[in-house]
Amino acid sequence: MEFSEHIKTANVENVVLRQPLHPPSRGTLCITGHHLLFSDREEEEEEGSGRHVLLLLRNVDAIEKSVENLLAHSGPFCNEGRSQRISGSSGTITIKCKDLRVLQLDIPGMEQCLNIARSIETLSCLDGVSEMYPFFYRPSDVSLQDQWGLSSPENHYSQMKELHDRWRLSTVNRDYLVCPSYPPAVIVPKNTDDDMLEKAAKFRQGGRFPVLCYYHRKNGTVIMRSSQPLTGANRKRCKDDERLLQAVIDGSDKGFIIDTRSSQQALQARMAGGGCESKSCYSGWTRLHRQMERGKALQESLMKLVEACGDESHNMDRWLSKLDNSKWLSHVQTALSTAGLLAECVERDGHSVLVHGSEGTDSTLLISTLAQLIMDPCCRTLEGFLALLEREWVQAGHPFRQRCAHSAFSHARLQQEAPVFLLLLDCVWQLWRQFPLALGFSEALLLRLATEAYVSNYGTFLCNSHQERCALGVKENTHCLFRALLRARERDCYSNPLYEPTELAIWPSVHPQSLQLWRGFFLRWTPQARHLEEAQEEIRNMITEWGKLALS
Amino acid sequence: MASPVPVYNSNPLDEHISSTSRESLKMELLADVSLLPGEERIIDKDIIYICPFNGAVKGKVLITNYRLHFKSSDADVVVTLDVPLGAISRVEKMGGASSRGENSYGLDITCKDMRNVRFALKQEGHSRRDIFELLFKYAFPLSHGQLLFAYVTQEKYGENGWDIYKPMEEFRRQGLPNNKWRITFINKSYELCDTYPTLLAVPVNSKDEDLRRVAAFRSRGRIPVLSWIHRENQAVIVRCSQPLVGMSGKRNKDDERYLDVIREANDTAKLTIYDARPSVNAVANKATGGGYEGDEYQNAELVFLDIQNIHVMRESLKKLKDIVYPNVEESHWLSSLESTHWLEHVKLVLSGAIQVADKVSSGNSVVVHCSDGWDRTAQLTSLAMLMLDSHYRTLRGFQVLIEKEWISFGHKFASRIGHGDKNHADQDRSPIFVQFIDCVWQMTKQFPTAFEFNERLLLTILDHLYSCCFGTFLYNCESARDQHEVRSKTVSLWSLVNSRMEMYLNPFYTPESGRVLYPVASMRHLELWVTYYIRWNPRIRQQQQSPVEQRYKELLALRDEYLKKLEELQLSDSPSSRLGNIPTPNTSSSATPPQQYTQLHTPL
Repeated sequence: MEFSEHIKTANVENVVLRQPLHPPSRGTLCITGHHLLFSDREEEEEEGSGRHVLLLLRNVDAIEKSVENLLAHSGPFCNEGRSQRISGSSGTITIKCKDLRVLQLDIPGMEQCLNIARSIETLSCLDGVSEMYPFFYRPSDVSLQDQWGLSSPENHYSQMKELHDRWRLSTVNRDYLVCPSYPPAVIVPKNTDDDMLEKAAKFRQGGRFPVLCYYHRKNGTVIMRSSQPLTGANRKRCKDDERLLQAVIDGSDKGFIIDTRSSQQALQARMAGGGCESKSCYSGWTRLHRQMERGKALQESLMKLVEACGDESHNMDRWLSKLDNSKWLSHVQTALSTAGLLAECVERDGHSVLVHGSEGTDSTLLISTLAQLIMDPCCRTLEGFLALLEREWVQAGHPFRQRCAHSAFSHARLQQEAPVFLLLLDCVWQLWRQFPLALGFSEALLLRLATEAYVSNYGTFLCNSHQERCALGVKENTHCLFRALLRARERDCYSNPLYEPTELAIWPSVHPQSLQLWRGFFLRWTPQARHLEEAQEEIRNMITEWGKLALS
Repeated sequence: MASPVPVYNSNPLDEHISSTSRESLKMELLADVSLLPGEERIIDKDIIYICPFNGAVKGKVLITNYRLHFKSSDADVVVTLDVPLGAISRVEKMGGASSRGENSYGLDITCKDMRNVRFALKQEGHSRRDIFELLFKYAFPLSHGQLLFAYVTQEKYGENGWDIYKPMEEFRRQGLPNNKWRITFINKSYELCDTYPTLLAVPVNSKDEDLRRVAAFRSRGRIPVLSWIHRENQAVIVRCSQPLVGMSGKRNKDDERYLDVIREANDTAKLTIYDARPSVNAVANKATGGGYEGDEYQNAELVFLDIQNIHVMRESLKKLKDIVYPNVEESHWLSSLESTHWLEHVKLVLSGAIQVADKVSSGNSVVVHCSDGWDRTAQLTSLAMLMLDSHYRTLRGFQVLIEKEWISFGHKFASRIGHGDKNHADQDRSPIFVQFIDCVWQMTKQFPTAFEFNERLLLTILDHLYSCCFGTFLYNCESARDQHEVRSKTVSLWSLVNSRMEMYLNPFYTPESGRVLYPVASMRHLELWVTYYIRWNPRIRQQQQSPVEQRYKELLALRDEYLKKLEELQLSDSPSSRLGNIPTPNTSSSATPPQQYTQLHTPL
């Protein structure tokens, strides 16, 4: 496909750009297949002072346009002699980005304005993954031959020697036939055979049969995850699924199943063919229900929150109520407390746990990831955290493409969007805030990931599953974000200068009083958030500098 | 749920518990309590502490002339409690001899520092009578003709905190006197105004007779005097009380002229008068003889800052206490927090101070007052000075600021806090100073590298605001302090602080003199100070506080090492060498553009 067919007007001069944190500037706007480019030509001669904005069109979440035939254009440049286009028509495009930035372009000429708007609208939501920018991004300092990804299930397994007694690596899914959203290799109890796995997979939604995601070295218990069992209204059972789970707790007395739905929701799911593990069939397992908000409700919560944050009206009396009403922080609370429950079962009580909701691709991953951060110091380093995200989100099949198709501004009808990954990052930020020394990475990393999940130069968060990525050759044709984040320069600014590893579990306080709005993200484009970012940067530089000279 | 409940140990004041333990104390359970020099055991008793977090806990309570100390006897749950008697606002009997129900007979103690304490005793034989009476007597010594503990303690420190603030030195630091402003001793025996300090800075062009005539027209004689002068543009912050306009709309030519002289001193077209009150309150004050500056004050503009009075603030904090102690509001926490309006009041105070600071830094002199000029006025002038003058953001400078704007200018600490006074329902009590410290905390959060001191200092100040261990916050004004010989008979809080400064230092402090800090006073950027208001709840308290403090200490040591090395390099190299012109520990500060501080971005 040619991008050019969507670009009627590629260049417009005399455009005024308004964006947060900067004064308005006038310059040239240019639309390409993937980017919106603005450059402030007056100041181009002075080195470095010219303002360039390079925005991936994919970052555009919503666009609003208004055109008018106006004679008196109001704005900071209206009295300047060189603004001769004022007589005639003009238009304004407001661009609301997935990274929550809001830009405004004043474009002379109604037609040009409409053309530009149309191009942005079309190009920002093109469907074909292989036309997306990561397939075109070719930075000069890295090669496509470089290693992609941090690890693989195979490597992960072979490094975890202590697993090998009781656990094996199964390649039953090598052709993605058993479970389309799983990677080709998964870790399962040793005394199971692939036949059993295949049968269990048929009994689980989307084929997501129970697999190991975390092994707790201190006591040998594990976290398993899956999707819901397909018991249906007739209360079907599956001997192989039961045996598979029995094999997990073999030898120990019992295990827990944390269902991320309320018991009522789980019962209702039977009508649609789903359900939950009955006490009688899974005698060694005790089910706990913790209702977590998902899908649409979560997306709407985000939209409400972002709307409240962007409310420029001077009447701020109701800010806290608005924040409360968005319910975002209560979702943060539920996620952290459910993860705490999971970690308690494993670390304190010494029981293995199976986690699932319905599909096992969202809230399941959310709490298994958080529990690992709470318990496992290896997950708290910069590398460890990225590897955790790779395992638990990318390889485990969180459908990034569907979930992150739109962010908080889009007027498009909601489909599969849900900010589950963003919720994870928010929860991790709360941990980071409550334990300023325990995590090896910085807030800047979380902010970067929050953007990259929605729009990226890299291929890491493309597609919905490992299978899709393979089919499109993501590995071969794009660069890996996680690798990029670990390069020396990046590593510096994404590590926590206060980091002091601790072997202890970090139990978060989950009372509403202990949770804060993640201002660094939600109020990111305010001068104050920017100032705090700079202050953190300054503190990092200070500590580095002291370390260098004091120890020299 | 997920948070572990650590042993409940509330010892905010443990840092000054003296290491010299008293051998006279031979009680097994309480043997580890080390008393301050001069602290004496009054009574101890087996008792049940009804801990809101762990339930009823058996143990022993010790009451001294300084504190109430409880320790559990049960080895499983280690619960200790340490409450300075000064923090107690009310002691009541709970239940009667015939009350039914477990633990329904005992004592109910309300504290000034956001907590309450309940003890249960055996119902037989008037078991609480002695402890109640003794507690009542020692918690409220002034109501019983006894001395406050600050007059009893024998604690010695290496530093003398009373030296930290010398008014003349502070005037000189500001460049005073100069050709526009003079220092007057007119109030040296508190004749002009009994709630002002003895040294005052007034315009050169005003004579002492003028000052006396102005004093007659200002509430309680609190005439407009200089608090701070901008070194470059000579704009000043002047503070006073309301003019005595009254219902009949009285005028006073001397007062009008005096304000005009202030305006002329730095030659601006208009003098801005900030009246901290909501305009309706200012109008209402006319009924009691007060009021505000009307049109007769030519060349002056009046701005109301809408800050509520002491009663509103007291009720607001009371509401906040209701939702955080003993049980924290779980559902709709944010809406409940909003309904206390506490953060909104903090916002209004901060945004008022921002307006003052902005006006002054743009070269215009301002006058700040409320009704009497000792509550809201002190908040506004001191916060504006904190924004304008980086000296006040140092550990010692901050002490000077409190000594100057609060203590010497007669913020009525004794009335607002009620030191040693049993009258808990006194309408004069109000958390105005707590609110000020909250505002400072908000600023330190927004500017993590701009303050030399850390949160611990703020907590220590608030603890000793009530403790009565130091003389610093005792009495309402300098004349009362002189009369009670506070400086010679008690120790200053700053003696404690300055003899262990390293505990209160922020490792990331980067001195930036001449920078004006404008915090954002928008609700979106304000936070509840959880580590102060909800610190008694062990489930809410931020965990691993001690490793963080430990880490900060290490960083301070690293920074000092760095500075030492830097100095060595500077000595060995020529001054123009590569590291020669790094003045501060922070080498990256040059990368921070100064403009960011000078933008005013506050929705007002």
